[in-house]
Amino acid sequence: MASEVLYMLGVVLAVFAVNYALRALPFLLFGGHGRELPGWVASLGNFVSPVIIAALIVYSYSALQWRTPWPYAAGALTIGLQLWRRSPLVSIVAGTLLYMCLLTCGCTTTEKSIAYDGAHPLIRFSNTGIRFKDEYVTPSRAVELLEQNKIPHDATIHILVDDDYTDRRATWVFQHNYLARAGYNRSVLVTKRVAKSAVAEAKPKEFSETKQTRPKIRYKKANE
Amino acid sequence: MSATRERRALVRRAFVDSLPVLMGYTTMGFVAGVLLAAKGNVVLGPLWGFLSSSMWVTGTMSFAFVPEVASRAPIYAIVLMTLAVNFRYAFYGFSMLARWKDVPFWHKAYLILMLTDENYALEVASPLKDRRRHLTYCTAISMFNHSYWVVGVTVGALVVCLLGMAIDPDVIRRHTDGMEFAMVALFLVIFTDQIRSFVGNGK
Repeated sequence: MASEVLYMLGVVLAVFAVNYALRALPFLLFGGHGRELPGWVASLGNFVSPVIIAALIVYSYSALQWRTPWPYAAGALTIGLQLWRRSPLVSIVAGTLLYMCLLTCGCTTTEKSIAYDGAHPLIRFSNTGIRFKDEYVTPSRAVELLEQNKIPHDATIHILVDDDYTDRRATWVFQHNYLARAGYNRSVLVTKRVAKSAVAEAKPKEFSETKQTRPKIRYKKANE
Repeated sequence: MSATRERRALVRRAFVDSLPVLMGYTTMGFVAGVLLAAKGNVVLGPLWGFLSSSMWVTGTMSFAFVPEVASRAPIYAIVLMTLAVNFRYAFYGFSMLARWKDVPFWHKAYLILMLTDENYALEVASPLKDRRRHLTYCTAISMFNHSYWVVGVTVGALVVCLLGMAIDPDVIRRHTDGMEFAMVALFLVIFTDQIRSFVGNGK
C-alpha cells in the first residue's frame, strides 16, 4: 500500500515536471530578450510533432485487439468524422463507442483470440489446486468449463504451471486422461515467464530438444 | 468602477468562449477518470485523479499513463512517454512570448501550466490587442478550463470508486473494456488536425 502511494506520487510528480518543462521551454530560452522565433524552429515543430503522434498511434494500437478488424473500423470512423465535422469531442466519443460495441458484439472473434492468446491461460496448476480463471475446480469440471466456453477442440490449451509446482504426474494425468479424452489433444504446459510469448511460434530448435528429453510432456522452459 | 465592469465583461466573454471546452473537458475527463480508477486502484482512484488533473491538464497523458501505471512501468519509461506525447507543447509558448512579456512571474507560471491545446487555440485566436485585457481573458479561460478538467476526472474516478464498493471491481473492469480506445481516438484527432494544418500551410 505504502509503496503504491509512493509510486503513484512519483509518477504524478514526474509527469508534472516533464509536462511543465516542455511548456515553459520557449519562455526559458527566449524569455527576457523578446527575440523573434527562428524560422527553422517553427518548421521543426510543424514536421516533428505529427511524426511523433503517428508513432504513438502505432504504439497504442498494439495495446488494443489489433488482430481483429474492430480498432481499424473505429479509427476510420474517428478520422472521417474529424475531417467532416471538425469536432474532436464528437469524433472521439463516436469512435470509442463504436469500438466498445464492436468488441462486445463481435465476441466470436474476440473470444477466439483470447482462447488462443497465450497471455491468458485459462487453466492453472499450483500447489493449492487446479484453477479455471482463478476459480478452484476439479479436473473434470475444468474440462467441462472449456467446453462451456466454446473453446474449439483443435485449440492449443495453455496450462499455466506455477514455478514451484513440481508434480509432473498430476499434469500428465490431466493432459492425457482428462483433456485428451474430451477431445483436446493439443495442450501445452507453460510457466509464468513464457506465458506471454507462448502464442507466437515457439523456437523450433528448443521445442524439439525438450520433446526429445521429455517425450510425453511438452514442457516449455522459461527462456528469460 | 468601469474597470471592474470591463473585467466582468471579459470574464463573461471568456466563459462563453470556454463553453465548447466545457463539453469536451468534462466528457473526456470523465472517461479518463473512469479508466484511471477502473484499470488502476479503485479505492485511491479519486485521489490520483484529483492530484494528477490539478497538476497537469494534458488529456493525452491522462489516458496514456493509465496502462503504464496498471502494469507498474518504471518511472523513467513514463517520463520518456510524456516527452514524446507532449512534445508539441514545447512550440506553443513561442506564440505567447511577446504577449506575456510583462506578466508577473507566478501569474505567468500559471498561464504556462495551462497552455493546453484548447487554451492555446482560444488564446491565439482571441482578437484582443490590448495586453492587459488579453491577460485577463487568458487567465479567465485558463481557470475555467482547469476547473472543468479537474471536475471531469475526479467525478469519473469517484463514480467508479463508489460503484466499486457496491459491485465487484472486476465487473467494472470488464464493462469498461474498449474504453481505452479513447486515447487512440484522441491521437487520431490530433494527427488529423496537424496534417490538415500542415497541408494548409503548404498551399
